[in-house]
Amino acid sequence: MTDYYTDSKAEAETGSKELRSGTESKWTSARRSASERIGRPTLVWIVYLVVAILVVPILMTFISSFASTATGVLPRGFVTFEHWRHVLGFGDYGVRANAIPGLTFSVLVATGGMILNVIIGIPIAYALSRYDFAAHNWVNTLAILPIVPGVILGIAFLRTYPDYRGSALVLIVGYCLLKSPYMVLTVQSSFQSIDIVKLEESARSLGASWPRAFLTIIVPHAKRGILAGCIITWTLAAAEFNFTYMVHTGDPEPFSMFLFRNISNAPYLQSAAAISIYFSIVVCAILILQLLGNRGFTTLNDDR
Amino acid sequence: MAFPTTERERERRRIVIMCLPFFVLATFAGFVPLIVMARMSLSAENLENAGWSFAAWEALVTEPVYREIAWNTLWFATAATVVSVALGVVISHVLEKYSLPFENVLVAVVSFPIALPGIVVAFMAIVLLGRQGLVTNAVAVFTGSSAIDLASATSVFGLFLGYVYSLVPRATMVLRGTYAEVDTRAEEAARSLGATPFETFYHVTLPEIRPGIVAAFILTFRSALAIFGTVLILQALAVVTLRIDYEIGVGFNTQIAGAIGLVYALFLIAFTFVGLRFVSNKTVEI
Repeated sequence: MTDYYTDSKAEAETGSKELRSGTESKWTSARRSASERIGRPTLVWIVYLVVAILVVPILMTFISSFASTATGVLPRGFVTFEHWRHVLGFGDYGVRANAIPGLTFSVLVATGGMILNVIIGIPIAYALSRYDFAAHNWVNTLAILPIVPGVILGIAFLRTYPDYRGSALVLIVGYCLLKSPYMVLTVQSSFQSIDIVKLEESARSLGASWPRAFLTIIVPHAKRGILAGCIITWTLAAAEFNFTYMVHTGDPEPFSMFLFRNISNAPYLQSAAAISIYFSIVVCAILILQLLGNRGFTTLNDDR
Repeated sequence: MAFPTTERERERRRIVIMCLPFFVLATFAGFVPLIVMARMSLSAENLENAGWSFAAWEALVTEPVYREIAWNTLWFATAATVVSVALGVVISHVLEKYSLPFENVLVAVVSFPIALPGIVVAFMAIVLLGRQGLVTNAVAVFTGSSAIDLASATSVFGLFLGYVYSLVPRATMVLRGTYAEVDTRAEEAARSLGATPFETFYHVTLPEIRPGIVAAFILTFRSALAIFGTVLILQALAVVTLRIDYEIGVGFNTQIAGAIGLVYALFLIAFTFVGLRFVSNKTVEI
């Protein structure tokens, strides 16, 4: 795998063929042909293979959720909405498989975490992109890399706030801290794409106080980044598992716990339908992010 | 500080005010729980922090099972990270340098798993490698052996696929940010001076993306260590997160869970700060 792969990295350029055609010697053309004939197609096939591995199980799961039997390799008996009805709580015997209460609870908690992220994320992103100060790098590292992973944070929360175990407050605060890097990064990238120093100075010299310049000039200019950060933090919090698993009490049952119960216990097709609910949410999130200029579920903005 | 008289002091006050909300949250949701967890590992009681005992730390040092878990975690996370970063370089290279059809869709698809929790990634591994899995049955058709013997979703290989599945997108997104800033004029100059594509990559592109590779390695390795849901479903290898769950679930050994958690958190913090000394903060994007 390794040799195959280093060799295949050979192709680095596409646009320069015509640059070289005039000065071609026998020697260069012989070496180029090996590189271009093998290197580039190999790389492209690696990418298609990886993309297939990533996307096929997603599509397979989504399609299976509409099938009526899955005894063979490929699901059969299309199209039925039985499993969707079941996981959405409209089935005849679907009381225990109802995703709606958990989803509602998770949606509310994720929204809380998102709002808290707006409150803490915008100011620190602004301070980090606008000012240079002592310990700037340390603060930046803390802000863009989560301090502790969800599982550890979960057991630490259990002992620190035992009376609030599984409460909405604990989940909101935990989700906010765990997902805050995404908000800070998207807002920072928005701030970096505009000249905030110049903007702020213009506003100040025209008579705006500093708070007014910040709230009415600076923040609106970062609205794309803020929206993108909101969508990413919200989507990630809506199905956060590691932290939730440690602190939840089961009443109300968060959406990720509903997913966990389905994945570990339910029949294959019902699990597929439960997971497909979340896939639909992610697809919507990615579509909105594309409108905001982020190609895909990422903090990178291509319009910079 | 509270009543500044010069612009410089006002600026300092602004920095403090703007950083304050984050640090309040980080204190109550991050630092305080970590300190309480450190205390928890030294507690004599397992249901509350009371009394002092070093039993958990002694067990951590003396019992070989914990060394085995540390070793499992490190080699598995490192292997998954190396493979994911290598694939991430290939994907971001192809996306940046070649014009493939439906590039927007490709980027969206590659980024999709970032949104998936670990338990869903485990399900994806089962869809591919389980007994009814697509890959399992394809291999079974070609080799003629039974799909049930070939199923590997709950083996170390299946878990490795799960890790790579959730890590490749993260590595790729970091490297895409780096690739966007590569100076293409230097590459064109190298090509027009007669360098082969591979020489161009090795001598021109690679030095430019090296900080991105380091940043991708740091981020991906951190994510690899934090994976829990995938390994909870597949149960193929005893890694640190699974062990913490086991200590809590079997016998409620909160002291040992706290001690493992503390070692893990300190390792992660040290690794991050040491690693970031080699790259600028700007390359770290998710």
